[in-house]
Amino acid sequence: MLIIGENINATGKKIAEAIRTRNSSFLQELALAQVAADYLDVNVGGGKGSTEQEIEDMKWLIDIVCEVTDKPIVVDSANPEVIEAGLEQGISLRAERSNRVVMINSVNAEKAKLEAIGPLAAKYQVGVIALAMDDNGIPPRVEERIRACDTILEGLSYYNIPAKKIYFDPLVLPIGVDTTQGQVTLKTLEQIKARYPEAKTTVGLSNISYGLPQRVAINDVFLLMLMYAGLDSVIVNPLRSSTIGSIKLGEMLIGKDAHCKGYLKAYRRGLFNK
Amino acid sequence: MEDIIALLKENVIQGRKTKDDEGVDGDSIGMPGVIELTQLALESNIPPEVIIEEGLTTGMQVVGDKFAAKEYFVPDMLASAEAVSGAQDILKPYLEDSDAMSKGKFAIATVKGDIHDIGKNIVATLLKGAGYEVDDLGINIPPEKIVEYVREYKPDFLGLSALLTTTMLAMGETIEALKENGIRDSVKVLIGGAAVSEEFAQQIGADAYCVDGFHAIKVLEEFQKVKA
Repeated sequence: MLIIGENINATGKKIAEAIRTRNSSFLQELALAQVAADYLDVNVGGGKGSTEQEIEDMKWLIDIVCEVTDKPIVVDSANPEVIEAGLEQGISLRAERSNRVVMINSVNAEKAKLEAIGPLAAKYQVGVIALAMDDNGIPPRVEERIRACDTILEGLSYYNIPAKKIYFDPLVLPIGVDTTQGQVTLKTLEQIKARYPEAKTTVGLSNISYGLPQRVAINDVFLLMLMYAGLDSVIVNPLRSSTIGSIKLGEMLIGKDAHCKGYLKAYRRGLFNK
Repeated sequence: MEDIIALLKENVIQGRKTKDDEGVDGDSIGMPGVIELTQLALESNIPPEVIIEEGLTTGMQVVGDKFAAKEYFVPDMLASAEAVSGAQDILKPYLEDSDAMSKGKFAIATVKGDIHDIGKNIVATLLKGAGYEVDDLGINIPPEKIVEYVREYKPDFLGLSALLTTTMLAMGETIEALKENGIRDSVKVLIGGAAVSEEFAQQIGADAYCVDGFHAIKVLEEFQKVKA
């Protein structure tokens, strides 16, 4: 299971402020704390300043994060120009650091998005997170989400991006608003795995528990169900030990942990004592 | 008669639309729910206005309080709102006869560039439950569409929703467009969504910022008082 750490995201006010004031030590600590993550997602927010400002922010942020960790970076923005700046920064750092910007977050079935992100993913040879949605938002039903995935696969193949570089996100809507949505995500995930066996899957979980108490418990259990349905990666807060614990347990129980080594290692390191 | 109304209120609080529903406390399956009690109330010649004001609306107020106190959660509140909405569908034909019309027309939309509709839908459901005639324009609605709508359908209230810091700016654009077309003062503009704030509402010249659907109901009641 590929764990993408979500903690450096400027939708959080503290983080937006730290980026604005160039508080590098605060942000570097956030990066360092995410030990349990395989990749680090990096997002500078958007909309409040100019595109130029966002580009500067993204370059700076990737630079200071790469100063303290060699974990691969996922460049996260709604603006393709900001994504490109992040990818370019990754290249320019290559000489001195071992990090790589390895993934784009994200594309969807919108034509303009595909035409902007497709060439970037091809040029920089990075993976791309692909949301199962189109211009009209998140479809409430499985069939429409799969149709969006078909459009994305076709759109990206035009730029010679192989399916194995695509991380489809089946998307999650709140169970508290519509109790069919757990199944919609699970079935969409199953169908993605069946239709495009080479493609990968990932998910941002927390929407499932919107409006309900005990959100972490709901997220962790849903994560296990998604793992059984074939999930390859997850975007989470890697500091949450119950979530990392769920991943270790899940990998063991579905047979992806030879001799239960991952689970036992986590146990011996005290992950389950917290 | 008071018994039916008291039961109605209690079942709104329990979120029991029909006799088959479990309710928050979960021990009344088989007992009449909001739909059955509304029919019973009509058969007992209780005026529809009384059913609405003393049964449905007071019940929803309690739900709002419980939600604010974190005793109730989103699904609890939606169950109650759906029960009330079902009762209103039954009462509608009677109301039009007796000329007790809705509290006003409320148009709601997620603004241009934003496709998030969960919050907007919850607010729409709650306002419908509170007796407003709600017109949901949908997601990603550009200012010109909203101007066109306001001009043609003359809603009393306009609710604008945005989740993102990138898209909340379209709320200001929408208000500007209403001004440019000389119809800004024809409608009260309320804004809501994760990215926006009281401060932002003042900045862009909205009439109010609402934290959630129940808050929106309170804000609207204040507007009604001022009008009266």
